[in-house]
Amino acid sequence: MKKNNTLKKISLYVFLVIGVILSVFPFYWMFVGATNPSGEIFSVPPNFLPGDYGWENFKNLNENIGIIRVMGNSLFITLTFTALSTIVCTAAGYAFAKFSFKGRNPIFFLLLVAIMIPYHVTLIPLFEIFAKVDWLNTFQAVILPQIAYPFAIFLMRQNMQAIPDSLLEAARVDGAGEFHIFFRMVLPVMRPALAAVAIFLFMFQWNNFIWPLVVLQSQDMYTLPVALSSLVGMSRIDYGQVMMGTTLSTLPIMIFFLLLQRQFISGILGGSVKE
Amino acid sequence: MKKWLKGFLVLALITGLLAACSNNESSGNEGGDGGEPNGEITIWGWNVAAQSMELAVEGFQEEYPDVEVKVEDIGRLDVYEKLTVGLASGGNGLPDVVLVESDRLANYQNEFPDGLLNLSEMGYDKHESKFGEYKKSVTQDKNGDFFAAPWDIGPTGVFYRTDIFEEAGVNPEDIQTWEDYIEAGKQIKEKTGKKMVPIDIAKDDALYRMMLNQQGTYYFDGEGNIDVTSDASKNAFNVINQLNEEGLVLNNDGWNGVVSATVNGEVATVPFGVWYTGTIMDQAPDQKGQWGVFKLPAFEEGGNRAANLGGSDLVIPSATDNKEAAYAFVEYFTTKVEPQMTALKEKGIFPSLNAAYEEDYFNQESEFFSNQKIFKMFAEQVPEIPAANYTSDYARAFKIMSDTQADILLNGTELDKALKKAADKLESDTGRNVN
Repeated sequence: MKKNNTLKKISLYVFLVIGVILSVFPFYWMFVGATNPSGEIFSVPPNFLPGDYGWENFKNLNENIGIIRVMGNSLFITLTFTALSTIVCTAAGYAFAKFSFKGRNPIFFLLLVAIMIPYHVTLIPLFEIFAKVDWLNTFQAVILPQIAYPFAIFLMRQNMQAIPDSLLEAARVDGAGEFHIFFRMVLPVMRPALAAVAIFLFMFQWNNFIWPLVVLQSQDMYTLPVALSSLVGMSRIDYGQVMMGTTLSTLPIMIFFLLLQRQFISGILGGSVKE
Repeated sequence: MKKWLKGFLVLALITGLLAACSNNESSGNEGGDGGEPNGEITIWGWNVAAQSMELAVEGFQEEYPDVEVKVEDIGRLDVYEKLTVGLASGGNGLPDVVLVESDRLANYQNEFPDGLLNLSEMGYDKHESKFGEYKKSVTQDKNGDFFAAPWDIGPTGVFYRTDIFEEAGVNPEDIQTWEDYIEAGKQIKEKTGKKMVPIDIAKDDALYRMMLNQQGTYYFDGEGNIDVTSDASKNAFNVINQLNEEGLVLNNDGWNGVVSATVNGEVATVPFGVWYTGTIMDQAPDQKGQWGVFKLPAFEEGGNRAANLGGSDLVIPSATDNKEAAYAFVEYFTTKVEPQMTALKEKGIFPSLNAAYEEDYFNQESEFFSNQKIFKMFAEQVPEIPAANYTSDYARAFKIMSDTQADILLNGTELDKALKKAADKLESDTGRNVN
C-alpha cells in the first residue's frame, strides 16, 4: 500500500517537473538570448548559459528605440486605460445587471454583437475620427477608443447578477444614495471580479499593437510593442536586442498578475457558479 | 443629480489632463510659396534603410540649410499598415516621404492613384537616364511618369561556403548552368553530407522569383496577364523540383530558419539578393574568409545570369504640405552619389544609381568574402536585370505561388497540374487573363 503510494507520488512529480520545464524553458531561452550577442542563439551546439552581454544589449536597445521612454509611455497608457476602463465597464455592467430601463436588452444584445466585430474593421473610421479632432499622435487617441470594452462589461454584468436585489432594496429603503450603494456596497463585494477585469484590461492594452501603431506617429510617443516591432527590419535582425526587449516587456505583466493573482483566479470562477 | 454632475466633471478633467500631456506635432509648412524649400519634413523607413537616410541628412542640409528632416524608424510591415490606413483616409497623418519596397509599389499606385505625388511633374524626368531598365520598370507608371524615386536594388548571387566547396572538390567557376549547380550539389552531399540550398518551402518562393526575373518574366507578363504556366516558370520549378528530389533542399521555417541554416553551416549555398551579405557578416562574424559569391547559374550555356530580389524606392504622399522640401530630399537622396556610397559602406545597402558604380569602392576586395570583388560582381549585373511587372496583385500571386511550391515539393503534385491550378486560382482571384 505504502509502496504503491510512493510510486504514484514519484510519477506525479516527474510529470509535474516535465510540465514546469516545458513552460519555463521559453522564458529561460529568452533570457539567454537577451544576455548574449545576436548570432549566439544560432550557434551549434546551442549555448544554454546566460552570457554577460545583457548590459550591452540594453544600451543598444535604448539607443535604438529609447526603451526607457517607451516603457514609460506604455506604463502610463496602460495604467490610465486600466483605471478608466475598469470604472466605465464596472458601472456599465452594474447598470445592465441591476437596473431595468427601456431598451436594456436590445442594447445588451448590440454589445454582444460588438464583441464579434474584428478590430481591423474599425481601424480606418476610427483613424478618420481622430484625424478630424486633430488627436493623431496623442496618448488619449490610444487610451479612449476601447474604454468601454464590451467583453469587460459582459464579465462585470454576469458577476453583478449574483448580488441579491433585496440587498440593494434594503439599502435604498434605508435612504442610501445610488453612488453610496455602488461604491460602498457593490464594489467591495465585486473585488475578485474587479481584479479579473483589471488584469484582463491591463494585458489587452499592454499588448495592444495595431491601433497604437497606426495612430502614433513619432518615436517618442511609441508604446513598447510598436517600438519592438520596429527592430525587425528587412534582412537584419539584432536578436540580442529583440530578446532583451521582449524580456523587459513581459516583466510588468508578470508583476501585475502576481499582485492580483489571488483575486483573478477566484474571479474567473466567480461567474460560473450562481448561488 | 449633483453627484452625477460631479462624476461627469471628474471624467472631463481627466480627459483634459490627457490632452495636456499630448505631444501635438506641428508641421512647419512655410514652404511651397516659391523660393528655396524650407520647413520640416518627416520620413518613414525601416531599419538600416531609415538609418541610411539619417546619415544623409547632414549632406542634404549643406544644400538645403532651411529644411529640417526627421526620420522615423518603423518596422517594415508596420510602414505598410500605416501607409494603407493613411492613404485610405485621404492622406491623414501621413509623413512627407515614405520608403516602399519595389514589389509593393504597383499596389499602392493602383489602389490610390491620387495618393502619391507624380514626381515627373516635379522634374524627376531629367534623371531618367541615370537608372537601369529594371528600376525604371518598377517606378514609372503606364505613361512613363515616375511615381516613385528609384533607390536601392537587389542584384542576386549564390553565396557559398568556400571551405565546403573545397572539401567536396567543387570549383564554383565550373557552375555555369542550373544543371551544373545540381551536379555540384550531388557531389557536395556525397562528400560532406551537407545540403545545397535552404528554402522556406511553404512560405517563400524567393528562388523561383529570382529564376523568373532572370528569364525576363514574373508572375505576370508585361501586359499584366497571368504568366505562371510559361516555359520560364516551368523551367524554374523543374530545377527546384530536381534539387528537392535529389535531397539537396533544406526545408526551413521562416526567415529565422534560413539565417540559422546559413550560420550553422547546414547548407553549402544560399541564393539571395546582395543585401544578404550584411546578414551573413552580422550573424556569422567568425566565418570570415569562408564565404564567396557567384552569379546565378544560367538556364542554358551563356544565358542571362542577372536577376533582382528586393530593393526599395521613395514615394511622396500627395497629402504632404511641403512637397518642395520633400522632393528636394528625395532628389538629393536618390540621384547624388554621396548618400549612395554612405548607405553602401555603412549599412550595406546597394545603390541603383549608375553613377555610383564608377566609385573606387566597387573595385575593392572584400576580406570577409575571400578577397573577392563582390560589389563589382553585383554592379556588373545591374544593366542586365530584366524588367519586371509586379502589378497590384503581387501579394496575392506571391501567396498562391508559395502554396504551389509546397504543393509540388511537399505533396509531390505533378508540375504542370500544379501550375495550371495556380493559374486558375489567380484568374478567379484577380480577374486577369491567363496566357
